[in-house]
Formats: sequence, structure tokens, C-alpha cells
Amino acid sequence: MSNPILQAQNLHKRYEKVHAVQGISFDIQQGEIFSLLGPNGAGKTTTISMLSCLLSATEGDAVIDGHSVRTQADAVKRVIGVVPQEIALYPDLTARENLMFWGKMYSLSGAHLKQRVAETLEIAGLSDRANEKVETYSGGMKRRINIAVGLLHEPKVLFMDEPTVGIDPQSRRRILDTVLELNQRGLTVLYTTHYMEEAAELSRRIGIVDHGKLIALGTQDDLTKLVGESDTVRIGISGVNDTDALLAALTKLSGVDHAALEEDELVLQATNANAHLSQIISAIGAASGQVKSIKVAEPNLEAVFLHLTGRALRD
Amino acid sequence: MKALQIAVKDTLTRFRDWKALAGMFAAPLIISAMIGLAFGDLGGDEAPIENIPVVLVNLDAGELGQAYEDVLTSPDLATLIALETMQDPEAAKARIEAGELRAVIVIPAGFSETVIPDSHGNSGQANVELYTDPTAEISPVIVRSIVERITAAINSTLLAGQVAGQQAAGYAPLLGPAMGQLGAAIGAELQSGNLNLQESLLDLEVVSTGETGESFDPFAFFIPGMAVFFLMFSMFEGSRSILQEERHWTLQRLMSTPTPTWEIILGKMGGTFLTGLLQFTILMLSSTYLFGVSWGTSILGLAILVVLTVFAASGLGAMLTAFSRNENQAGVVGSAVSLVFGALGGSFFPTDGLTGLINIASKLTVNRWAMDGFLALTVNRGGLADIQTPILVLAVVGSVTFVLATLAFQKRFVK
Repeated sequence: MSNPILQAQNLHKRYEKVHAVQGISFDIQQGEIFSLLGPNGAGKTTTISMLSCLLSATEGDAVIDGHSVRTQADAVKRVIGVVPQEIALYPDLTARENLMFWGKMYSLSGAHLKQRVAETLEIAGLSDRANEKVETYSGGMKRRINIAVGLLHEPKVLFMDEPTVGIDPQSRRRILDTVLELNQRGLTVLYTTHYMEEAAELSRRIGIVDHGKLIALGTQDDLTKLVGESDTVRIGISGVNDTDALLAALTKLSGVDHAALEEDELVLQATNANAHLSQIISAIGAASGQVKSIKVAEPNLEAVFLHLTGRALRD
Repeated sequence: MKALQIAVKDTLTRFRDWKALAGMFAAPLIISAMIGLAFGDLGGDEAPIENIPVVLVNLDAGELGQAYEDVLTSPDLATLIALETMQDPEAAKARIEAGELRAVIVIPAGFSETVIPDSHGNSGQANVELYTDPTAEISPVIVRSIVERITAAINSTLLAGQVAGQQAAGYAPLLGPAMGQLGAAIGAELQSGNLNLQESLLDLEVVSTGETGESFDPFAFFIPGMAVFFLMFSMFEGSRSILQEERHWTLQRLMSTPTPTWEIILGKMGGTFLTGLLQFTILMLSSTYLFGVSWGTSILGLAILVVLTVFAASGLGAMLTAFSRNENQAGVVGSAVSLVFGALGGSFFPTDGLTGLINIASKLTVNRWAMDGFLALTVNRGGLADIQTPILVLAVVGSVTFVLATLAFQKRFVK
């Protein structure tokens, strides 16, 4: 079964005052979509930057398609495609000019380059607007061209760093469908996100990252088992003066494993939550709070993160 | 070569930016035109060509001096020339320096007596002196043409007189008819633009006032000055684009491709250089077409000087950017250096008069060496041999700054 195209082994990245990545190890099977899930600042981008040979690892190594990122950077760069979180395009150039330029940076030329530009424009669904400057595009269209650039040289592994940040739901849906379609064609994808739903939809295996550490790794079933039968309860509240006292009171309640505040919403991890709702609401009332909404969800990745870190995923 | 692709991409991007184009081309041309207008010589001469202010200093008491005066005051030339007569040549020449006159014609004392053969057929030589305004281009040529025509006509008459063996006193009746129609003839030739200059047996000494006698075209100074000044701005701005690429993550994306870092840096600096080269070339061509600026006679010298000026300016821009903490700091430093270099380096005023520390400071600027070179070619009409020092200094500055910038960028971006 094991046919890893990427093996990250004890990757560390230390800066002067920050230990940004602290011994991350994982592998990705050929043809797999693997997600790294974690909040902003968890170390996802630093990890991808090391795997892309943009940053040198302070310690550890990664092998991609048989090439070490430490010693064979050029070979690694030929087999990976990188889709950065930022729109790394030239706004004054048209989409076609951007793709032609980036294709040349991957040593494509002539008819093959033109063919790949046409194919990636097709994948991005922007063939009819290829000759317009990128600066005139919507955020979603820019994201799609951003992805197209990463596909130009037909990489074996595509690194996608939060590719849906800041775009509308429709464009997001289109990008997720594109990732699934590319994967069906055989492309291996390393996908980072802080959206639990995206990781859940795209990946069979997920690594959860926090504070530079890989705190959990496995299939969704493996991960949700970590929280047992806990449900996630989200309660919209207002009027609470002392939220710390409320959180402390809630975690003392029977059946409540974790409690956190996310803006005006309490996020609780509770076993058999429906049976404990009255107690929870009473505690909120005792803290002079008013309940505005209640949602109870079955165990999911967010519950896993809350369970593992004591914080909501978007904290 | 990927560096070339990056350079071409950067140049294309720059030339699509209207703001950048305004700074690169419109600003230097407009400012130069304004300065040229302030100097009152736009187009190189007065327009229309009429009432050319000329003074005749006729110190000759004889027929020939009178002949010059008769022709110059003839009704046919009245529209063209506004003639005054004076007796003091030095005072007349001072009026040229003051910009009041375009030319002064001096007929020396005893001119007729010297030139007209005596009863034995012996004669001497004398010069008609013509002094012209060095800042004017067309009117001195016209005045000189007229004086030469008169001189040629007198010369013919003198030859005829010699052949006839007549005595000096007999020349007067000959001169009258010969000169009588000359004004009309010159006027007609000037109108048709077909004034023929004839060889003269009499000497005509033409002197432009001023120390060197060179014609001073303000555009020949200010166009190179402004071109170098705005080139510096453009090069600093262009060099900063590597930090902009870092901010927009296109630099990181470039570095994630199988392209060596040194080639990316070379491409970025090459793009700035290519942009500067095109900017300077277009400015030269535009100024030649719009203002009639002559960039000298040494095409090879000019080409080498332009390439090395751009090389030094882009190298300096790259070095300052490489050592700046961030994009903003690079912008502030670049603008400050451009202004200081422009002021010290002779982009706004000639540096001939600089002495002491100011002169030393001036020689620390790229602008100074570039301007020394350009003025040697444009104003002094020099050749390659006259710009050896400037091109050597610019080559050294460019090489050193490019190497330092490459090393600093390499250290900065390889993490």
C-alpha cells in the first residue's frame, strides 16, 4: 500500500526568536490529497516553503519523488507545482502573458508552452478572457490563474497554500471542484487550510498543525475518534460581562469537555450535548448572558482541534 | 536564458505603466522645453526671420565702405535687416554680448585705400570683420551671406577695373551700377532660399563673440542634464521592483521554479538596465526631433557613454535597494540620492565653476561623470578620445555596484 511520493522527516525551522516548525513528519501517497489543517500562524506556510525549497530546513529533510529538498533542490522544483496563498501574478500582464512567462521559468517553450497555456486556461475556465490584464479580474479569477500557473509544467505534486482565502463561495466551490478533478487525473496534492470543511471534503488523510507541531495525523475517522462521542455545541450569546468566569463555570459542568469563546459564540465540546443543554443555558443565565442561537453538531475536525488544543480552530 | 525573459518581462511591465512613462519621458522633455523657452532660443533662432538687428561700423572713408553701406541700407533688405551704424567697434560688440544684436560688420579704416589698386596697379589686403551672436543659428548665416555677396561683387568690380587698367578714382562709377541691383538680387535669393556664396578675393573675417566662439545651445546642456536626472529616478524605481516582487510573492514563486537565484537577480537588474537604455535612447531621439538637439558627431562615443551611464545608474540603484531595509526605505533613499546627485552632478547647472569640496562631492556622483561625457560630445563636439575618463569611471562604478548588489541580494533572498 505504501507508495509515498513525499516524505517529510522531522522538519524544523528556527528563526532567531521563533521556532516556527518543530519536528514535523508526514508522508503523502502518490495520487492522494493530503491536507494540513491549522489556524493562521500554525506553521503550514513555513512547512510548504521548506518543501518548495524556498526556505532551508534548520533540521530534518524531505524527499519528494526521490529527491531531497536539502541537496537536490533543482530536481525537486521540477516535480512540484506551487500555488502560494498570495496572488503571485503580474497584474499589468494578461493571463496569457503571465502563463507564458511562468511557463518559460519552468523551461517550457515553443508549441509545447502554447499548448500548456491553453490547457491550463481551460482548467481555470478563463480561455475566453485570457487576453485581459489580470488586474481587471475578480478575486476568484485571479485565484484560478494562480492555480493554473502551478500546473503549467505538469508537476507530480501540487502544493496549494490556502488557495481559497478571501474569495466568494462560488469561486471557492469552483476551486475545490478543480482540485478534486485534478486529483482524479492522478495529481498528488498537499493542501493547507484553516477551513475544516475544505480539509474534510478534499482529503482522506489530514494532519492537524498547531504552534509548529503536527498534533494529530490520520484519516477523518481516526481523528474524530480522538474526541470520542463528543458533540460540538455552538451558542450565540450576548450580555456576558465576565467571559472567563463563564468558561470556567461551563467546563465544570458534567459532560462538558472543553469550552471556548469565538467572538460572540461559545464553542463547547460535550458528550451527549442535548442532555446537558439546560445546564449550559442556566450557567449562561447565571453569568447575566442571553442565548441568541444554539447549534449542536456531531463530532468533526473542529471538535478534534478543540479537544487537542483547548481552542477553537479559528482563534 | 531565463534572465533575459525576466528582463524583457520587467521592461514590458514598466512600459505599460503610464505613471512610469510620464516620469521617464514627459517630465524630462517638458522641463527641458520650459528651460529652453526661458532661455529664449526655442527652435534655435528668432522667428520669423526679419528685422535682424545688425550694426555697421564703417570706419572707411572711401568708396568701398560706402558701397557696403549702400547695399545694406537698400530698400530690398530693409525688411530683413534692421541696420544701425556706429563708430565704436567695441561698443557694438558689447551689444552682441548683451543680446541686443545678431551681428556687427566692421569696415576698417583705410579699407578702400588699401584694397583699390593705385596707379601702378598695386594693392594691399584688408579684412571686413563680421561678429555674430553665438546663441543664434540662422541670422548670422544670413548676414554672413549678404556680406559675402557684397564682397564678391566688389571683388568682381575690382578685377574688371584692373583689367581695364583704370585708376583708383575711376572705380566709383563702376561700383555704382554694380552695387545698385545687388540688394534686390540678394533679397530675391534669400526668398528663394538659394543664396549662393561665392569665393571672395577679399578676406571676410567672421568671429562669433564669446571666449571660445562655440555656439551655445541650451538644449544641448539641459536635455542631457534632465535625461540623466530622470534616468536616476527611473533606475532607482526599477531596482525597487525586486522588493515589490518579494512583497507580492512573485519573487518567491520565481524562486520555487528551477531557476537559479543568481539568474533571477541578474534578470531583475537586467530589466532595469534595459528599461534605462530604452528610456535614454527614446529621450535622445525625441529631443533631436522636437528641439533639434545635436548629440554630437561621435556615434560610437555616444553609444558607449549612454550604455555606461545606464549601467552605472542601474547598478547604483540595485546596490542601494539591496542594502535597504525595506521597499519604503529604498524609495526614500533612491529619491534623495537622485535629487542630491542631480544638484551636485550638473544636471541643473554647469559644474565648470565648482571648486573645493563641492567639486569633489560633485565628482562622487554618476551624474557628474555622465554630464562631463555628454557635454564633451554635445557642446564641445568632442569624440571618443574626449570622454575616456567619464566612460572609465562609469564602467568602474557600474561594475562595482552590480557585483555588490548581486551579492547582497543573494544573501538577502536565499534563506
